[in-house]
This record gives sequence, structure tokens and C-alpha cells, in this order.
Amino acid sequence: MRCETQVTVQVPRQSVWDFLWDVPRLTACVPGCEEVQEIVPNTRYQAVVRDKVGPFTLRVPLAVEVLEATAPVRLRARAQGRDAAVQSLVKVELTLVLVETSAQTTTLQVGADVTVLGKLGTLGHGVIVRRGEAIVTQFASALQAALGQEVT
Amino acid sequence: MLPPFALEEPTSVHEASALLARYGETARLYAGGTELLLAMKEGLLRYERLINIKLIPELAGLALADGALHVGATTTHRGLERSAVVRAHFPALAEMAAHVANVRVREVGTLGGNLCFAEPHADPGTLLLVHDASVALAQQGGARTLALAQFFVGPFEVALADDEILTAIQVPALPAHTAAVYVKYGLLERPSVGVAVAVTALPNQVQAVRVAVGCVSPTPRRLWDVEGLLSSKEVPAVRATLDTAGALAGSAADAVTDLHGSAEYKAYLVGVLLRRAFEQAYQQAIGETPSDAARGRGTA
Repeated sequence: MRCETQVTVQVPRQSVWDFLWDVPRLTACVPGCEEVQEIVPNTRYQAVVRDKVGPFTLRVPLAVEVLEATAPVRLRARAQGRDAAVQSLVKVELTLVLVETSAQTTTLQVGADVTVLGKLGTLGHGVIVRRGEAIVTQFASALQAALGQEVT
Repeated sequence: MLPPFALEEPTSVHEASALLARYGETARLYAGGTELLLAMKEGLLRYERLINIKLIPELAGLALADGALHVGATTTHRGLERSAVVRAHFPALAEMAAHVANVRVREVGTLGGNLCFAEPHADPGTLLLVHDASVALAQQGGARTLALAQFFVGPFEVALADDEILTAIQVPALPAHTAAVYVKYGLLERPSVGVAVAVTALPNQVQAVRVAVGCVSPTPRRLWDVEGLLSSKEVPAVRATLDTAGALAGSAADAVTDLHGSAEYKAYLVGVLLRRAFEQAYQQAIGETPSDAARGRGTA
């Protein structure tokens, strides 16, 4: 499934780009993200994402790899992992595009291709779609808040 | 394989509530187990302790009082289907119950369990919404009643406090000259779309229409705007509005794409089922009992 949203912030594009590489601040914007470790600077990371829908809880250790970094315009990363308890694979390909709408304003376009396979994907696909959309929206809002004033 | 767990067998709601308060998230109420045990077998849910509430007398039984139906939470789908009282006074409820999942599920699955598990692809909630049903909830400290529409919070989430128990479902009588119908369609065991309609009508005059849709979005919902479009009209005018109402219903249903079909497909089906359910309910409301096949046997 594909989830997309965008936010506009009153922050120059270069500052937004710098923020994206501030790992602790960036990962604080990802709902349920914790235990973040840098494996290879600017290239590979590890993190754990937890989520809960009703009584169902998910804990996925993720290997994160930066696939493309074109400063200060485009960042693409892939996160992949498996919840051992429910034998389900989670894969996210995240694309962030920074559009300079003025010298002091940047629009951040967030796109995520999310794949959930295994028992979890079979039993609750519709729920996962909605949850994925909500997480991307929360991520974008948190980015907006972390970067300062909101415009849109 | 089902993982090991301890089994508690309280004999009162107070005792069950106390157990929930004591064991917190490590325990879960267990009645029919048709959803819970499956999820536990798949490893999706893990509990150290299950609290069997089937031995609690106050959660059992069906009764009619002042036209309203009191359904104890541990009443099975099969119990609803076979009840003479339900079949006589709430035929749509009996019909719906007769087509929940399969006979093995209906034999042990309970209405209370179905509502509390809040699996989005379920039948009873949608029909009960057009009946304006409510749920009776109890815990150690007291009891309350909640409209069913407020009970559904999200997928697999309901408005129960940690130590609270659904004790009964209250189904008010429909107004005079009113009939309810539930129709559904699905290619898998669980329905892709479910639509419930209640029509209050005299011949050629529709007074009021209630519409609810389920399965297509995280929770079942009443479609108030659609009801407004169809109510207080002569029947030809209602029929002329059904396409518009169907499109609005499809949109308002807020369908989500999943393994049961695309959002567009489900939105279209909502419109189709709305038309079918309206016609069936109208015929029943004016006393022209249609054939068995047209009575909304639970399939589209």
C-alpha cells in the first residue's frame, strides 16, 4: 500500500535537510520508534518499532538503510524487519522530497510504500492500511511540530 | 497450537470484574472463543489467563419486556437464530444470526463476544445499529448503558474500561409499520460489505429510513445523511433517489481497500445492497411479506 502526505514549514530547505540527519530528533517523530542505533553513519541504522491496535501488539526490529540522499532535495530509505511473535514481515520504503517554496519555506512531501506479509497481513489487512495512513500522517505532523511553525 | 494459559471460572459479574482488575492485560474474558482462540493459536494474542464467563447466570438468557429485547451477552448466534421470541419479534436479527460465519461458529460464538472483539468484518453490529441498540456494561463499582454506536471505538477496540464487562444487549422494538433487513456480500467467509436498512412505511409512503453499513471501514456506522435523503417521501420519489443515496452511502461508508476488495468496489456494492435492502424492508413494512429469498436471508 502507498501512503502519502505533505507538510509545509517556515524553515529553509537546508535546515530541513539537516534536521533529517539529526537521528534522535528525526526518530522521535516516528510513532513507536525506539532503541535507535547507528550502524554505519548516514547509511545504516537499527531501530525497534512498536504499535498497538486494540489488543494486538506489534514489535518489529527494523534494519534501516539509506538508499538515496540527494542534498537537500530527496532522501529515500528502506526499513525492513520481522515480528518474531506473529511471524510477519514489515517493509517500508520511505521517500522524502523537499520542495523550496520560498527562501524561508519548505514543503516536505512524505511517501511510504508499506508491505506487511504473513499472518498479520492476512488477518488484518484493512486495519493495517488505515494504521499505516495514520502513522504517516502522525510522522508528518510531528516533523512539522519539531521543525517549528506550521503553515498549512 | 494454542499456548498454555490458566483458566478462571467466576460465577458473578462482580467476581469477573475483580479478576480483570487483578490481572490486567495478562488476562482476557473468554466466552465462545471463536475469535480469541483463533488469534491465540496464530500467536497474534498472548494471555496468561482466560476468564471464562459462560458460567455467570446473569449474562445468559433472552427476554422480551415492553417490546424491547434483552439479550444476555453470552447468548450464542445459534440461540438468537432459534429463539421463538426473536424470530417472532425481531426476524431480521434471527435471519442475520442464522448466517453468521458457519454453523460451528454460530453454535458457540456469542453476541457479546462478537461485539466486544470488534472485528471490522462482522455482521451483528451493523444490523443492531438500525435497531438503535444499546449495551449494558458493568464493573465492580457500578453499571452503565451505552448506545451501541458509541461502543465501537475502532477496529478491535470498544469503549470498555479495563475491568468492565458487557452484560447484555438491549434491542428496542421497531416503530409500527417498520421492518429491518440486513444484506451482505462476500467471497470469503467474512463479508466484504454489510448493509442494514429499517423502513417505516405505509403503502406508497415512506416515513422514515434508517441505514447502517459495516465491514467496509474499521467500525460499522449509521449513515444519517443517507437516511435524510430517503425519508418522508412517496415510494417513487425514494426509488428515484436510491442511485444518489447509494453513491452517497458508498462515499460515506469510508471504505478501505483490503483483501476483501478495493475501496471503489466496496463503495459500489454499498449502493447495490442499499437498493436491495430498501426494497425488501419496504415490502415487509407494508405487510407484503416477500418470498424467503427476498427476505434478506443474509446474502446479496
